[in-house]
Amino acid sequence: MVSKPSRRRLVATGLALVAGTAALTALPAFIDPYSLRIVTGVLMWAGLACAWNIVGGYAGYISFGHSAFFGIGAYVTGILMQSGVGMPFLATLPLGILVAVGVAAAIGGPTMRLRGAYFAIATWAFAEMLMQLATVLDITGGTGGLSLPAYLNEFFFYYTMLVVALAVYLGAWYLLERTRFGYRLKALRDHEPAAEAVGIHTTRVKVQAFALSAGITSLFGSIYAYWVTFIDPRSVMGPEITDQMVVMVLLGGLGTVWGPALGATVLWVTNRYIWSEFGDTAIYLPILGLIIALIVLFLPNGLISLLPGGRRGHGVLTRLLRKL
Amino acid sequence: MDVLLQALLNGILIGGILICLTVGFQLTFGVLHVIDFAVGGWVMLGGYAAYWASRLLGLDPFISVFFIFVVFAGIGCALGPLIYHVRTSRYARPDLMALAFTFGLFIMMRGGALWLWSFDSRSVDSVLSGASLSVGPVTIPLLRLSAFGMALLLGLGLFVLLYRTRFGMAVRAVAQNRDHAGLMGVDVKRVSAYVYGIYTGITASAGVLLATIYSVNPEVGVRYTLFAFFVAVLAGLGSVGGVLVAGLILGLVESLVGTYVGTRYSLLVVFATLYLVLLISPKGILRRGI
Amino acid sequence: MTDKISRRNFLRGSAYGLGALSLGAPAIHLRAQEPVLRCGVVTSLSGENRFGGNLTRRGYDLWAEEINKLGGVEINGDRYRVEMFYGDAQSRPASGADAAERLIIRDEVSVLFGPYTSGVTLAVQPICAKYSVPMISGSAESPNVWLEKPRFNFGMIPAVDHSAGRSINVIAEATGAASVGVVGVDEPFSKETAEGFRNGVEDAGLELTRFELFPANADLTPIVSNLKADDPDLVAVGGHEEVLINFINTAKSLDFRPKAILMHYGVTAAAFADQLGGDANGVLGISVWTPNLPYRDDLFGSASDYDELSHSRWGSHPDYTEAACSASGLVLQDAARRLGKPPAWERQARLELVEALEETDIETFYGPVAFEREGSHYHNNIRPVPVVIQITEGRVVPVAPGDAAQTELVYPLPAFS
Repeated sequence: MVSKPSRRRLVATGLALVAGTAALTALPAFIDPYSLRIVTGVLMWAGLACAWNIVGGYAGYISFGHSAFFGIGAYVTGILMQSGVGMPFLATLPLGILVAVGVAAAIGGPTMRLRGAYFAIATWAFAEMLMQLATVLDITGGTGGLSLPAYLNEFFFYYTMLVVALAVYLGAWYLLERTRFGYRLKALRDHEPAAEAVGIHTTRVKVQAFALSAGITSLFGSIYAYWVTFIDPRSVMGPEITDQMVVMVLLGGLGTVWGPALGATVLWVTNRYIWSEFGDTAIYLPILGLIIALIVLFLPNGLISLLPGGRRGHGVLTRLLRKL
Repeated sequence: MDVLLQALLNGILIGGILICLTVGFQLTFGVLHVIDFAVGGWVMLGGYAAYWASRLLGLDPFISVFFIFVVFAGIGCALGPLIYHVRTSRYARPDLMALAFTFGLFIMMRGGALWLWSFDSRSVDSVLSGASLSVGPVTIPLLRLSAFGMALLLGLGLFVLLYRTRFGMAVRAVAQNRDHAGLMGVDVKRVSAYVYGIYTGITASAGVLLATIYSVNPEVGVRYTLFAFFVAVLAGLGSVGGVLVAGLILGLVESLVGTYVGTRYSLLVVFATLYLVLLISPKGILRRGI
Repeated sequence: MTDKISRRNFLRGSAYGLGALSLGAPAIHLRAQEPVLRCGVVTSLSGENRFGGNLTRRGYDLWAEEINKLGGVEINGDRYRVEMFYGDAQSRPASGADAAERLIIRDEVSVLFGPYTSGVTLAVQPICAKYSVPMISGSAESPNVWLEKPRFNFGMIPAVDHSAGRSINVIAEATGAASVGVVGVDEPFSKETAEGFRNGVEDAGLELTRFELFPANADLTPIVSNLKADDPDLVAVGGHEEVLINFINTAKSLDFRPKAILMHYGVTAAAFADQLGGDANGVLGISVWTPNLPYRDDLFGSASDYDELSHSRWGSHPDYTEAACSASGLVLQDAARRLGKPPAWERQARLELVEALEETDIETFYGPVAFEREGSHYHNNIRPVPVVIQITEGRVVPVAPGDAAQTELVYPLPAFS
C-alpha cells in the first residue's frame, strides 16, 4: 500500500517546518507594513488553497462553490460585530465555522452524488444562489455591504493568519497523509466504486471532507472580514474567490500537502507584484493570464514538481491507479 | 393576459440568446471533454470584432458575422492542438489542467481587451437595431428574434453536421471513445482541432449578436461564461439537443419570475432551479449528459 | 514670474544632474531630496467599475499636468512638482485597501485621491485613518460613505440622496409629469439613486407606478415590458453606463417610449451619447456641473475653458465626475498653501492638512467647495446645485430648473428615430 515516509525524510521536513515557522514569526520585524500586508494575504490564500485541496485534490471533487463558505464566515463575523450585537471578534469565529460546517453537511450528501463537472457547476450554482440571497436580505446590508469596526493592527492579523494557516497545514498533513481518513479519501478519489467495494463508507467520508474544507474556508472568511473591514456580496461570495483557490492549487500541485502553499505564494506575490509595477494600466492582466497558461503548458504537475521529492504525491497516485 | 404573453415571448427570446451562447461550448465538451472557461471571452471578442468591423469598415453585423465566424474558427483551429495537448497529457487531472489553461486564456482576453480598447461599453448598430414587430398585444424585437433564429439554425446545422456527414461521424466517434476512434483511423487530433474551431467560430458569432442586443465591454465575459456553464449542465453535458430545452427553460424562468415576482429575485430563482434540477436529475434535464 | 520659476527649475535640475553625475548616487537618495508633492490615486481601473474609475483618473491627471506646467503646487513661494502614483482597486474593496497601503508605504505619498465606488472607499478609509493620510474623493456619491464621519476623507460631489430626489421635483414642475416608474440596479450606488428617485416622487406627491431593483446581470426585457404595461409619464433609472445603454436598446427594441426618461449615473459622460448615437437624444440626467456655469479659477479658467482643455487632452467632453476630480486638486493646492509647510509632510503636518481641508472655502471652475463639518454628510461638499440636463444632439445641455436652463426641456419625447 502507501509507503510511509522514511524517518530521515520526516526529520528533514520537521526541521524545515521549524525553521520556516521561526522565520515567519520573526518576519514582521524586518519588513514594512505593506509587505506585511502582502504576506498576510499569502497566508490567507495558502490556507484557503489547502482547504480547497482537501476536497479538490484528495477527494477528487472539484468544488466551484467554496466562495459560499468564505462568504458565510465573513457575514457571520460581519453581522455579529455590528454595533447592535457587538460580539467580540474571536467569539464569532467558532460560530462562522459552525454555520459553514452545518451548511456543507446539509448540502454535501445530495450534492456529492454528482460527479465531475456536474458537481463543479452545482456547487457554483449554490454559491451564486447564496450570493444572490445575500443581496436581497436585509441583515447582510444587501449590496450596500457591511462595515466592520476597524482594528488597525497589522501584527494582529498577520499572526492570526499565521497561526491559523500553520494549524491548517499541520492538521491537513496529519489527517491526509498519516491517518486512515486520508487513505480513504485518496482511495475514493482514485476509484470510488472500488473504494466502496472494500468497505469504505464513501458518502460519509466525502461529506466529512467537504465539511472540514468548508469550516476552514469559513474561518478565513471571518478573519478577512475583520481585516479588510468592509464586505459586500461580490467581494466575499463572488466566483473570483473560488477561481483563485482552484488556480493556486493547480499551479502548486494538486493533491499534495505543500503544493497549495507554494501555488498560493507564487501566484499571490506575482499577482501583487505585477499589479503594483504595471498598476496604472491593465497590462498586468494579460501578463498574469499568460503566466498561468505557460505554467499549465510546461509544468503540468504544478510548481511542486520542481522541488526535490515533490512528485511524491503523484507517485502515490500513479501507483494506486496502476494497482486498481 | 397581454403581460403574460409578452413575458412568455421575452422568456423564449432570452432562451434563444442562451442557446446561441452554449451550443458551441456543449460541442467541445462532448468531444474534447474540456470545460472551457474562456467561452465568455470568445463572446466578448466576437462582439468587439463586430464593433470594429462596423466602425472601421462600415460593415453591418449581419454581414460581418460571416467573416467573424471564419476568422475565429481559424483562431480556434490554431489553438485547438494546444488545448488537445493539455487535455490529453498524462498527468493526474488533465481535465482540471485544461480548465486552468482556459482560465489563463480568459484572463488574457479580458485584460487584453481592457488594455487595448479601453473601458468604454461599445454599442453595435445594425439594420435591425430597435426594429420590432407587433403581433396583437405583444412586441417582438427583431434582433432577439434573429438570435432565436440563429439558435434554431445552429441546432439544426450541428445535427446535420454530426449525423449526416463523414466528418460528423468522426466527431461522434471521438466523442464516444478517443482511443478506439484513433485505432479506426480517425485523426483524433485534427478532428479535435476542427471541433474547437467550430466552437470558437459559433461562440464569436453569438457574441456579434449579443453585442447588438446588449453592448460589449471588456468585463462582459464572466457573465456569459457563467450562463453558458449553467445551460450546458442543465442540458446534460455534451448533449446538444438538451441545450435547446435547457436554454428555453432558463429563459422562461428568468422572464416569468422577473415579471411576476420581481426582477430582483430572478437570478436567485434561476440558480436555485439549476441547483435543484441537478440534485434531482444529475445528468441534466433530459438525462442525456455524459 | 514664469521666467523666474523656469530659471529656478533649470538651476535646480542642473544641480541634481551634476550631483547625480559626480556622486553617482542611487536614485533613492535623490528621491528623498527632490522637492515634489507625491500624490496617490486609488481607483478602479479594471473590474466592473472601470468606467467611472478611469474617468476619475482623467480628472486627477489633468490637474496634475496643468499644475506641473506652472512648476507645481505653490507653498510659501516655492513650487513643488506633483508626482502621481496609481493603485488599481480592481473594483474590489480588498484590492483598494492593498493599493492604499502600498501607495502610502512604498510610494510615500502625502495625500490620496479617492476611489470611484463606495465599497472601495469604505475599505480605504481605515487605511487613511491608520496612517493619518487625508484622501480627497473626486467621486463618491453614495451617502453611506459619510455616515461614519470619516475624519480623513473629503468628498467633492454632493451625495446622490441630495440630488436624485430634488431632480424628480424639478422635472415634474417643468413638464407636468404626473406618474413615475422607478427602477434601479441592485448595487450600492444605483440602489441609493433609485431610492432617492422614489423619495422624490413621494415628496412631490406624484403617483409611483412601480419601484423595482434588478441584478446587474439580468436581462432587461421583463422589466421594460412591465414598465410599458404601466405606462408612466416619466421613467427614472438608477444604474451605470452599461446598464443604461442596455436599457435604451431594450426599450427601443420593445417599442417603449415614455414621455420622459431620467437616468443616473453615466448619461453625462461623453461615451453615452457616443455609443447610442441618435437614441441618446432626449434622455434626462442629473449633473452638478456643466461647462456653461459661470464659475472660474486661476488654474483652469472658466468652466468652458476646462471643457475645452479636457476635450483637447482626452478627446471627449468631460462630465461632472472628471470636473470634480480635477477640482480635488485645486482643493489640495489651496489647503497646502494655507498649511504653508513644504512636502513631504510628516504625520503632524498631515493632521494639520486635514484641518486646513476642513476650512476649505473656495470657488473653482467646478463651483464653490466647502465641506460639511457635521451631520449625515460629514466632509461632503454639498454646495454644488444639481441641475437637470437633457441630451440634445449628442451634447449635455441643462434644461431645468428655469434659471439654469439653456434650452426648453423636450417633453413629451418624440418617437425613436
